[in-house]
Amino acid sequence: MTTHQSSTTTTVAAAPNAEDPDLVPGLLPESPGDREARHPRTPLWRSLLHGTGLVGSILVITVILCGTVGPLLTPYAPDQQIDGAYLLQPSLDHWFGTDDVNRDIATRVLYGIRIDLLIIFLAVPIGAALGVVAGLATVTHPVSDVIAQRVFDVILAFPALILGITLTAILGPGAVTVGIVIALAEIPIFGRLTRTSVLRVRELPYVEAARVSGATTSRILLRHVLPHSLEALSVQFALSLSLAVFIEGALSYLGVGVVAPAPSLGSILAGGNGYLETNPWFSLGPLIAVSILVLGFYLIAQSISHDRRLRR
Amino acid sequence: MPRQRGARAAAVIIAILLTLATAGCESAVSQQQNSTAPGGPTPRGGDLRVGVLGDLSPKAFLQIGTGSMNGQVVANSFDTLIRYARDSLTVEPSLATAWRLAPDGRSLALDLRTDVTFHDGRPFVSSDVENSIKAYLSGPWTPQFKRTAAAITRFDTSDPHRVILHFAHPLSNIFDLLDSAPVIDQNTLPELKAGTAFNGTGPFRFDSWQPNSTVRLVRNEHYWGGAPALESVTFVVVRDDQSLFTRLRTGQIDVADGLSYHDQQLVTQRYGFTGLTLTGAESQEYVGINVTNPALSDVRVRQAIAYAIDRPRIINDVFRGSGYTVNLPWPEWSPAYRPEANTTYTRDLDKARALITETGPIPPLTLDYSTQGNDRVIAEIVQSNLADVGIEVRLVPNDRTQQSSKLIGGKFEGLWLLQHAFAQFTPSTLAVSAYPFNAAKNSSNYSNPAYSAAAEAAWTVRDSSSPEALAAYRELDEAWLRDLFLVEIGVVLRQVATASSVGNIDWDRRNQLHFAGTYLASEGKQ
Amino acid sequence: MTGYLLRRIPTALVVLAVASILIFAVLRLIPGGPEAALAGPDATAAELAAIRHDLGLDQAFITQYLAWLGDILTLDLGTSYQVGGSIADLIGFGLVNTLILTVAALIIAILLALALALTAVLFDNRFVAGLLTVVNAAAIALPTFVVGTVLILVFGVRLRLLPAGGIPPNGFTDSLQISAQYLILPALTLGLPAGAMLARFLTESLRTELQQPYVLTARALGASRTDIVLKHALRNALPPTLTALGITVGALLGGAVLVESIFGWPGLGLLTEEGIFARDYPLVQVLILLSVAVFVIIQLLADIVHAWLDPRIRLAGDR
Repeated sequence: MTTHQSSTTTTVAAAPNAEDPDLVPGLLPESPGDREARHPRTPLWRSLLHGTGLVGSILVITVILCGTVGPLLTPYAPDQQIDGAYLLQPSLDHWFGTDDVNRDIATRVLYGIRIDLLIIFLAVPIGAALGVVAGLATVTHPVSDVIAQRVFDVILAFPALILGITLTAILGPGAVTVGIVIALAEIPIFGRLTRTSVLRVRELPYVEAARVSGATTSRILLRHVLPHSLEALSVQFALSLSLAVFIEGALSYLGVGVVAPAPSLGSILAGGNGYLETNPWFSLGPLIAVSILVLGFYLIAQSISHDRRLRR
Repeated sequence: MPRQRGARAAAVIIAILLTLATAGCESAVSQQQNSTAPGGPTPRGGDLRVGVLGDLSPKAFLQIGTGSMNGQVVANSFDTLIRYARDSLTVEPSLATAWRLAPDGRSLALDLRTDVTFHDGRPFVSSDVENSIKAYLSGPWTPQFKRTAAAITRFDTSDPHRVILHFAHPLSNIFDLLDSAPVIDQNTLPELKAGTAFNGTGPFRFDSWQPNSTVRLVRNEHYWGGAPALESVTFVVVRDDQSLFTRLRTGQIDVADGLSYHDQQLVTQRYGFTGLTLTGAESQEYVGINVTNPALSDVRVRQAIAYAIDRPRIINDVFRGSGYTVNLPWPEWSPAYRPEANTTYTRDLDKARALITETGPIPPLTLDYSTQGNDRVIAEIVQSNLADVGIEVRLVPNDRTQQSSKLIGGKFEGLWLLQHAFAQFTPSTLAVSAYPFNAAKNSSNYSNPAYSAAAEAAWTVRDSSSPEALAAYRELDEAWLRDLFLVEIGVVLRQVATASSVGNIDWDRRNQLHFAGTYLASEGKQ
Repeated sequence: MTGYLLRRIPTALVVLAVASILIFAVLRLIPGGPEAALAGPDATAAELAAIRHDLGLDQAFITQYLAWLGDILTLDLGTSYQVGGSIADLIGFGLVNTLILTVAALIIAILLALALALTAVLFDNRFVAGLLTVVNAAAIALPTFVVGTVLILVFGVRLRLLPAGGIPPNGFTDSLQISAQYLILPALTLGLPAGAMLARFLTESLRTELQQPYVLTARALGASRTDIVLKHALRNALPPTLTALGITVGALLGGAVLVESIFGWPGLGLLTEEGIFARDYPLVQVLILLSVAVFVIIQLLADIVHAWLDPRIRLAGDR
């Protein structure tokens, strides 16, 4: 079954005349392979290892490697100011040139990846976990439903950047604050998603059956509903990671990101934005890193949702 | 056929986008080019579009340096009694044609022009001077020459065309006040505070204000100095320096006030725009020091900081050479300027390290900076300079309001980075009006009776360039160099870029542009 | 349906009330008060105290809040500290600009989403799919401020095709052509990431729908793929997309802060950002409350439409 799936999922969707039978709803009634594929639950991580998911994983891992190993290889420190190296052009010594504070941009990008990854891999899971818990709370009791939903509304109603500016003004800028802003922004997204998918799943026959046979609400939620929503949540999770990179960048642009001289991808981009016309390579390094990272997460998200569709 | 239909939909969408993009004969880009009919030697007419950072703020109207829009309206819709020359403290006539300072320095008589009317037609008389200075004092604004204005005890306005000001004590910086405080109309003061009427005597009448967008002034045909060449001036509120740059380059504005130093260099050296260096309106970049911080209370640490900072690099890299390094605040043309004093502290790592070795290791310090402008880069340079001599510094970014409120409250923990001005006025003004230097209460929490006495002496002398006054400035200089409650980095010159069609822009000591004599030529368009 | 509505409206009001308290409190937690912004760096502590008194900031928190609430309820929005003018006028002008920008961006986003999603589903081959994935990811990945700046540099400065920022000097109604040209770049910058997100969502929904049994039935009855996608799948894929659209509008309003700042577009985002930096409490309070209100209304509408399209939600809510 595994081999079968990996051969098909590279095609993102089926055309009426495509060869893959199980991708063409309605052309062939049922093939034996198709039948079997829906019962054994493939673990989620499989989506990371084939087709577009594999490409995505490779991209993300490349960036992660750059962030973890890369700093060991550069001869400069991220905050090392090199005498007379004001806005230098790219060269063998400085692959992406130097910035307006005489620092090697390539080095800063490598360290920036590290800080970005740290922020997003801490903030997004925390925000997601809180969101899922809140989302599950919505369906257990009508009162908690109303409260949690309105809390989501209140958070969502504040534009994320305004929330960021205000929170930073209160808490003081820094990586922690950026993390809090990201986590806070994720809570309603995951909360609502959990709620919607739970409401959908709850009407399915087997949940109905569990309820009739006397299972408790929390048991139903944990054993039956949550696993079923897991894929939708993972898709959102991968997307949220890329959104988090974006929020970090926007906060840095508004001057409320990580505190200088610590490099983050967003703060390097923001610093380079004033020199786009004369020194485009200043922005190029972080831009490449951000794009690869986001593309990677995006492909993973797509792979998961593709596999999920197949399994239905 | 699915593919065809999909393709058709896509084609339609693309077509719509393309049509929108290039539609028709009307182009917003060509519409925005400034076109003036060719004229004689000084062409008349035209609308000058000036991009400025920041909007009008009527409640802060008479404060200096609160976003440039206030100042631009003050400079072009109002007049002051006198004007300083641009590169010296020579007093030149404006609404006042002549003045006589009493020998004891306790009163000043000013003869006023007789042919001046406000924009609403009312003639300008001596009581307007009294009312203007009283309005200057009464707020809601908190203008910087308040202490000078408050030292005027009596106004003699018995002659409508002469006013005699009586002082509590000789006021060496009285002309600073008269150069700064505009003559405003008492009858429309409430409207001025509300931002609905700006009734002055200046070369341009206030026409309209669209908050967050534009302020429009139109030619005052009855201006006492002759009607200006320009038909109107439109100030465009631009929120960041980058959009100022693109708008200047694409011809949406003719004058850009507040470009980044990098962009200023780019437009003037590569793209043929004209650069103006506003000599006489200097400000100073400095590192402030809270002397009550235990780590900084030892003057040797402060000296080490003064020796560690790489001033030439900051002036050359960050300000693109638009300024010069100093140890004392005075600009080159000031009566208090002494070139030899400015070499007291230059970057000398050995001296700095030796001083730190003497005092022993220092706990990490904080360096507060404002996230606006280029202070972040300077803060990073200073941080690295201090690391070179073994002083560890943690950067603390603040938005501009936080930075102001920490400054006023004296709440900076260790070091901070800011610009100050007021060294471009009468030297005594600095220690009286500029908060970082204020002898009575300053943000460094520095107090020294000798310093206060020198400040007071410089302020209450009759003639600001007398030997007596110069001796007082020397004493202030020595206090600054010895006690180092702030470390000057350099004098910074503000620059303005204009299209080559713009001619003859004047400016004053407060970075305000005066367009009374400005013209727009049709030739030499970008 | 009426019952559903009746239950949703009071909760919406509660959201507004809670938001108003939050806004009021949170703004006052920001260090540095409006007096420092107004007085500038050369003021003295006594002058600051006088300004605080003038603004009524020395009164008790509850008193200030109740006074403000009373004003708001009687539709008196007050005057701005910094600008001094009536807040109603300020917001009126900014709102029009922001609405024009947001609606234009929303249209671009929806068109883009439909175009991308339908192309992905209708043209079904690996090349197109791969291309669309990259386009989509790029639209999400590239930071708004970089896209905006590059668009300005390319179309405004280099090619001189479109204005580099600002709004039409003679107003939007003077010439539609001119207005459209001023709108294109900011609306595109704002709409691009939103459109890409929406496109992803719609594509997924469409593909999920295409796996449903009714599609099989339709196929069996001889309907073409295009017909199935356009007539059946699209209709069923819309409800979840609508929810996403609701969030997209929120994201657009939020993104407007950046885009307005890059393009010098005098809208509410710019006003809010400046207001926060200047600690202009009355202005920012009204602005954020307004954005909460807009969001709540959009949510309400989306929920209603959603419930109307998908009975399961409605029934579940009734339980």
